[in-house]
Amino acid sequence: MHQTDFHYTQKELPAGLKKFGSIIFILGLILALVAFYVDKERAIFNYLILYSMLISIGLGSLFLIALEYVAGADWSVPFRRIPEFLSGILPLLFVLVIPLLIFNHDLFHWTHKEAVEKDVILKGKEPYLNITFFIVRAFAFIAVWVIFYLILAKNSSKQDATKDQNLTRKNIKFSAIFIPIFAITITFTSIDWLMSLEPHWFSTIFGVYYFAGTVIASLAAVTLIVVFLKEKGYYQPWITDDHLYSFGALLFAFVNFWAYIAFSQYLLIWYANLPEETFWFLTRWEGSWSIVSILLIIVHFIVPYAVLLSQPAKMNPKKLKFISIWLLFAHLLDIYWLVMPNMTEMKSGYHFSWIDFVFPFLGIGFVMLVLSFFGKNKNLLPIGDPKLKRGLNFHL
Amino acid sequence: MHNTNLFGVSALFDSPDKIILVAKKTAEAGFTNFDINTPYPIHGIEKAMKLKPSKLGFITLVFGLTGSFIALFFMYWTMSIDYPMIISGKPFFALPAFIPVTFEVTVLLATLATVIGMITFFFKFPENHHPLHDTNYMKQVSKDKFGLVIESTDKNFELEKVKEFLQSLNPISIEEIYYQAKENNSVLEPRFLTLLFVIALVTSGTTYFILNKLLYMTPFDWMSTQLKLNPQKPSELFSDGFGMRTPVAGTVAQGFIPYLSKGNPNPTELLENPYLITEENIKIGKSKYLTFCSPCHGNFGDGDSRLRGQFPNPPSLHSKRARDFKDGMIYHVIVNGQNSMPSYAPYLDNEERWAVVNYIRVLQRAKNASESDIQFAKKENVKNASN
Amino acid sequence: MNIDYSQEAPAVAGRLTLAEIEELVAKPLDSRPDKKYFIALSISGGALMIGAVCLAISFYYGLGLWGNNQPIGWAFDIVNFVFWVGIGHAGTLISAILFLLRQKWRTGIARFAEAMTIFAVICAGIFPAIHTGRPWLDGYLLPYPNQHHLWVNFTSPLLWDVFAVSTYFTVSLVFWYIGLIPDFATLRDRTSSKIKKTIYSLFSLGWRHSSRHWQHYEKAYMLLAGFATPLVLSVHTIVSFDFAVSILPGWHTTIFPPYFVAGAIFSGFAMVVTVLVFVRKIFNLENIITMDHLDKMNKVILATGMMVGYAYGMEFFIAWYSGVQAEQFVFVNRAFGPYAWAYWIMVSCNVIFPQLFWVRKFRRSIPVMMVIVILVNVGMWFERFVITVTSLHRDFLPSSWAYYTPTLYDFGILIGSFGLFFTLVILFTKSLPVVSISEVKAVAEGAQPSHHGGVANA
Repeated sequence: MHQTDFHYTQKELPAGLKKFGSIIFILGLILALVAFYVDKERAIFNYLILYSMLISIGLGSLFLIALEYVAGADWSVPFRRIPEFLSGILPLLFVLVIPLLIFNHDLFHWTHKEAVEKDVILKGKEPYLNITFFIVRAFAFIAVWVIFYLILAKNSSKQDATKDQNLTRKNIKFSAIFIPIFAITITFTSIDWLMSLEPHWFSTIFGVYYFAGTVIASLAAVTLIVVFLKEKGYYQPWITDDHLYSFGALLFAFVNFWAYIAFSQYLLIWYANLPEETFWFLTRWEGSWSIVSILLIIVHFIVPYAVLLSQPAKMNPKKLKFISIWLLFAHLLDIYWLVMPNMTEMKSGYHFSWIDFVFPFLGIGFVMLVLSFFGKNKNLLPIGDPKLKRGLNFHL
Repeated sequence: MHNTNLFGVSALFDSPDKIILVAKKTAEAGFTNFDINTPYPIHGIEKAMKLKPSKLGFITLVFGLTGSFIALFFMYWTMSIDYPMIISGKPFFALPAFIPVTFEVTVLLATLATVIGMITFFFKFPENHHPLHDTNYMKQVSKDKFGLVIESTDKNFELEKVKEFLQSLNPISIEEIYYQAKENNSVLEPRFLTLLFVIALVTSGTTYFILNKLLYMTPFDWMSTQLKLNPQKPSELFSDGFGMRTPVAGTVAQGFIPYLSKGNPNPTELLENPYLITEENIKIGKSKYLTFCSPCHGNFGDGDSRLRGQFPNPPSLHSKRARDFKDGMIYHVIVNGQNSMPSYAPYLDNEERWAVVNYIRVLQRAKNASESDIQFAKKENVKNASN
Repeated sequence: MNIDYSQEAPAVAGRLTLAEIEELVAKPLDSRPDKKYFIALSISGGALMIGAVCLAISFYYGLGLWGNNQPIGWAFDIVNFVFWVGIGHAGTLISAILFLLRQKWRTGIARFAEAMTIFAVICAGIFPAIHTGRPWLDGYLLPYPNQHHLWVNFTSPLLWDVFAVSTYFTVSLVFWYIGLIPDFATLRDRTSSKIKKTIYSLFSLGWRHSSRHWQHYEKAYMLLAGFATPLVLSVHTIVSFDFAVSILPGWHTTIFPPYFVAGAIFSGFAMVVTVLVFVRKIFNLENIITMDHLDKMNKVILATGMMVGYAYGMEFFIAWYSGVQAEQFVFVNRAFGPYAWAYWIMVSCNVIFPQLFWVRKFRRSIPVMMVIVILVNVGMWFERFVITVTSLHRDFLPSSWAYYTPTLYDFGILIGSFGLFFTLVILFTKSLPVVSISEVKAVAEGAQPSHHGGVANA
């Protein structure tokens, strides 16, 4: 479809988003509170999973925006608003992080003073792993992300009215500065919230591993929303098969990238066979965890690989919708697999609990509300962006 | 009715937009055997020409999967079946360690198959004698023009009509293309045969020289001339000139315990049986007895040889004399031999000899059971049956 | 310097026509080499001879002539191997990954970068072959039913290397050749010399620029790119496994695979820029290999340089964080021990100097660019030196700690590998089109139909 000129009239996001979002969110919130009352430890571990998932989607979206600016990509311009809405999660993290900091004692072994005193290794890590520095880091990182979010999103929406090319130029500069900062903050975020759950274990690739999952999750979320809105007629006729194909190809690439990083980490630790590293994988092979570990390979790599391999599948909206939901679930399973075996009662194997289902539910409601809140009175196409025409005329 | 020498009619155009239009019109006019020649691929031309999507991907998929399976199976076979070896404590089938090679072989096979498949099956290359070669048309489309050629094999082909059709498309020029006279390049030409012969001679000569001469010249021969002494070779160091030395008297080989009563038909000192009768021990004893003893002594020690008189039958193991033997005496007979029975020391190690002794004791008790043994056995049978 | 973001920067500058592009690229093949060419060739040939002589002497007297000895059993041979394999990563990256990302600017440099890949892998392949000391026995590296009834050890990363590097070489060569077929056909149709025509015909396989063929050709190119992309990652990953599957502190760290890949792209791009700057000047290709292209290459160098810096940082942090004494010692020793000089050369060349590329003016200045990319090449060679030598020279047994000094033969062979590389590059510039004619034509202005999507949907 060749676009020489186009007329865009602002159209509100579907009303169901807010309605269903509120219902799911409130229901989830009540159940979550019950969960905290019933089993505090399980609930807080599950809440940590939800928190990591939200970082993945919010921060990952901000990264996608920055990448678009830095790489000078044009195909992703027409729907850049979606990652912009999603990174609206970031300012809310200030509030979301508080329960985790209150219950840090239940999550992190290294917060127990008496345990650290007896443990030479934990004693050595104390300059980094202590609760004061931990809280400072948590808030400082969120603050940095929020600053960049505000700059990039503000400039982008200002451009709708002014059509000023200087705003693009500014955003390119800030994106270039953001990306190295993003690399460092996401690494230490993953070390703090996920790796330090097992404070004796260490792996230099861990930040990259989490990054791979983050990109998959945010890309899948964006894909899902774009395909959904396209089907509802919001992006007709602007998003073509060629755009969809790019989504599919990128998802396929990052599924492979994740598998590559995960395999590298596993192979090196398995091969060298050093007890200070292997125990982390052994915990995840204990009892029924072995099934979850194998499931992770199938869910996170084999199935999406098989689905996205063929060329037509990459631009088929139905398959894309399916696979992006699937990949969001896969990333959730990945974080679940990282977090849950560290819970005291889950060390010897997985036990079922209804609590595990409450928090993803809460998360879905939350993201829907975030979308409807940030998407209010906004143009779904960045109509002032100089690259928009190129993006609409994008062909393979 | 058309000239048999005619390959087709070609027309040249000068812009990509034009050639897309031309391709569309030609396909719509019902022509199927036509081709568009362009110096580089034009986006969207395959849709304009109504071509089917390329099936090349199937070759890639099939050969890629074949590569994975071949590699994985081959590694499994060599590392766990043909020559299993424990390497740094890993299992014989160390799947994570096999993944890199599996991946490489997959990629290698898939890419080679794709390229070779494309060139030979899809393109039918090499083909340097196609009628289009060396025409003005070819030279132009090779450079910066866009060409259409309608072949005479097309079912709608009629020279005048086709020319008229091409003219209606406003080309730069139209050219008729004919088959060239076949060149006669017989494979049996003497010069070619001589060349083949020379190549064969040089290749085999070089191979022979490298493998049989070069590798035995300096410096490639230094593996065979080393300072260390090879077995059976003389040495100037020792006065007797022998390189190999006889061991010092009383030297015992590693892991070898000498049996002191060897060669003595009536040993005064007999060894004590160090092994208890256990199930595993009896199992070893039974298997060794059936392999080495039963051919002469019979499966149950009755002295009923299977050798049918080719060898003197030994006496029964159930005689009073044999039953009164101490365990050490039976061991002695196994190691030393008796009468015409040779020594079985080389075939049975220490544990196995005692295991055979224990098994003989089992046979003897079974053949000469007391009343209480029979009662016990009956009880056991009843128990087993009721289970 | 105000860029208009609503317009795509043209991949070919100067509004060249298709015929002009062809003329420009094919010119070096039609003219006789001049004096400068022979001077350059004799310099690189001389370097190659130095290497050949050192190698011959090494084989005759044995590898004791080299500096490596306990505990530094691996030194220049593996350092040079990893260095050259790394250089060889840029080509396939440009031709495969940038192809999949649809970066049109790759067309001007892809052919040259691919050629450099092949030559670099040839240089790299020499080192594992010679470090055995008896290269005529290297056939045992292949799994064939030999007279010893022994198979190769498939669990060894050194054997994975044999498969990875040979696959990489084969696939790169095939990829390169596939790209050359249409160009051979074009050369065949424009030349007037009978001998040249026979050769070009032979290699063009009878290519007719047929759209029925282009369709499969593009599909094959896509598939090959799809395979070459993970392949290029796998090769340097496997090279990193050579080190990382061991238990030696400084080698055994999980970030090695992506870190090595980033480093390989970093050094490869630096080498491509080094050579391209000369090529575009000598052969007047400024309109095809434009300043925009070099600018983009420099951005990639900046990005990968920072990835490498990230890995250096993570290694240090996790060494401290791990609480493993041996691990902590190795990294302190790396930065402040006897090899601190090598370490700081590496850090400054790889992480600090490339930061100048943040400034647009520097990215687009030929002299600044030249200095930085050469420093990057030096730095990346030292990175492999630091990883190999500093980790080995003080290992678990303090009584065998030692200081490694390379000998003249080590240096001679290193110089020889550079000689081989540049000899091949120089020969290539005069015998094959250094830029893909058909690909550049395809991205020239007006080369594609203006409504190509419209036809499909109409």
